[in-house]
Amino acid sequence: MSEALRQSLDLALFWEYRFVLFGGLLFNAAIFACAAAAALVLGLCAALLRVSLMRPLRWGGTVYVELFRNAPDYVMLVWVHFVLPLLLGLALRTRIEFHPFVSAVVALGLVYSGYFAETFRAGIQAIPKGNIEAGRAVGMSEALILRRITLPQVVWRMLPEALNIFVSLFKATTIVSLIAVPDLMYRVSMVTQQEMRPLPLYTGAALTYFAVILVVATLLRWASERWRRTVLV
Amino acid sequence: MNEAPCIRVVDVHKKFGPLEVLKGVSFDVHRGSVVSMIGASGSGKSTLLRCINYLEVPSAGAIYIEGESLGFQEDAAGRRSARPLRDINRMRRDLGVVFQQYNLWPHMTVLGNIVEAPIRVRGLSRKEAVRVADECLRRVRLSDKAHEYPARLSGGQQQRAAIARALAMRPKVMLFDEPTSSLDPELTDEVLNVMRELAEAGSTMIVVTHEMDFARDVSDRVLFLHDGLIDEEGRPGQVFTAPRSERCRQFLAKYLK
Repeated sequence: MSEALRQSLDLALFWEYRFVLFGGLLFNAAIFACAAAAALVLGLCAALLRVSLMRPLRWGGTVYVELFRNAPDYVMLVWVHFVLPLLLGLALRTRIEFHPFVSAVVALGLVYSGYFAETFRAGIQAIPKGNIEAGRAVGMSEALILRRITLPQVVWRMLPEALNIFVSLFKATTIVSLIAVPDLMYRVSMVTQQEMRPLPLYTGAALTYFAVILVVATLLRWASERWRRTVLV
Repeated sequence: MNEAPCIRVVDVHKKFGPLEVLKGVSFDVHRGSVVSMIGASGSGKSTLLRCINYLEVPSAGAIYIEGESLGFQEDAAGRRSARPLRDINRMRRDLGVVFQQYNLWPHMTVLGNIVEAPIRVRGLSRKEAVRVADECLRRVRLSDKAHEYPARLSGGQQQRAAIARALAMRPKVMLFDEPTSSLDPELTDEVLNVMRELAEAGSTMIVVTHEMDFARDVSDRVLFLHDGLIDEEGRPGQVFTAPRSERCRQFLAKYLK
């Protein structure tokens, strides 16, 4: 076994820094949670625009979705962190700076809201019209119909696809180190500069992400399929 | 029958683009009576039923529920203005609708389907709503299926669950839109029997149907629609044995052999 390979697989150094590094993983988790929440809310709003009966609203929804769905994560991150504060500062005539954590959440939230919007839209359009009419016929308001009849069924339909998007989003959180959010990858880079032994550190980071995503995604898929099977649509 | 009609339909027109489906239909439904609407496919009977609770908004004309206009309100000076959707929703609670395709909510159990509107629209407590639901399920003989999801039920059971869901709102009038048209013949009777019992118990019902036996035996009045107009109306004995309209006679001849 070559020396380089032996070093790559010797995770003792990674383990030595485990508290610092896993602390970074919490940042990934926090950014993921905040960006996912933002993406779901914005995605639902965009989807409702996309299925609106009013044409200008539909157009607005389409522009929103295409804009953010087609923006690369990294470009969006840099743009939100460096350009957006400048534009806002000009508009409000004040100096604005975003905390890197905020920029990360906004950028990833926007990009992934584009994906969620399309998943929501497909889910909403797949619901039989009769379901909605049955709600109207018993005097339910449109908001109540959305909350009690449409959304639960949309969630049922979109769960498998949504889990895939969540996995992509979690993976995308690893680029936030580029704007100095102290996540796992950022801390690995820092430790590497100290120790000058990048191989075990990056291998450790790769295995950690892999294990976390595999375990969490598998558990979630199992739970979601179990729930989906009890409710046959 | 001197009291005000439970439902009054006045000169209702309905257009879909250039196509005029209803061309001015008027009739009254009195409390406790059963009115059947028959006619060929495309005659406008389902559209008419859907206009009665504003699932389709009439292009012209008016619907009155116990004297109150469903689509319009009048101020003290007699000026008419469109009713806000909130008011229409409030009035819809008094009209139970049973659809051809059942339209049960698939993500809720039968019980969940039945208690949903009483709790969230009528504001009943869950306990009270479940008590009402149990009573409705007994009426449609479906008590043993309360905790099943709709997809696990036969078509007939789903339609009876849908009837229970409508009954649980304690509507003043039940509207049935071809309730047995999606059912296999052997499942039709279980739904029709439930409807017969509702009629015998004094429910006010408007039934769009192709079941001529039901229309003849259970209705107080029969309306025959043709081309967006009421072409024949009267007591079932008269409509089925001595129709004045030639088209009605031809239509019935196909069904009653």
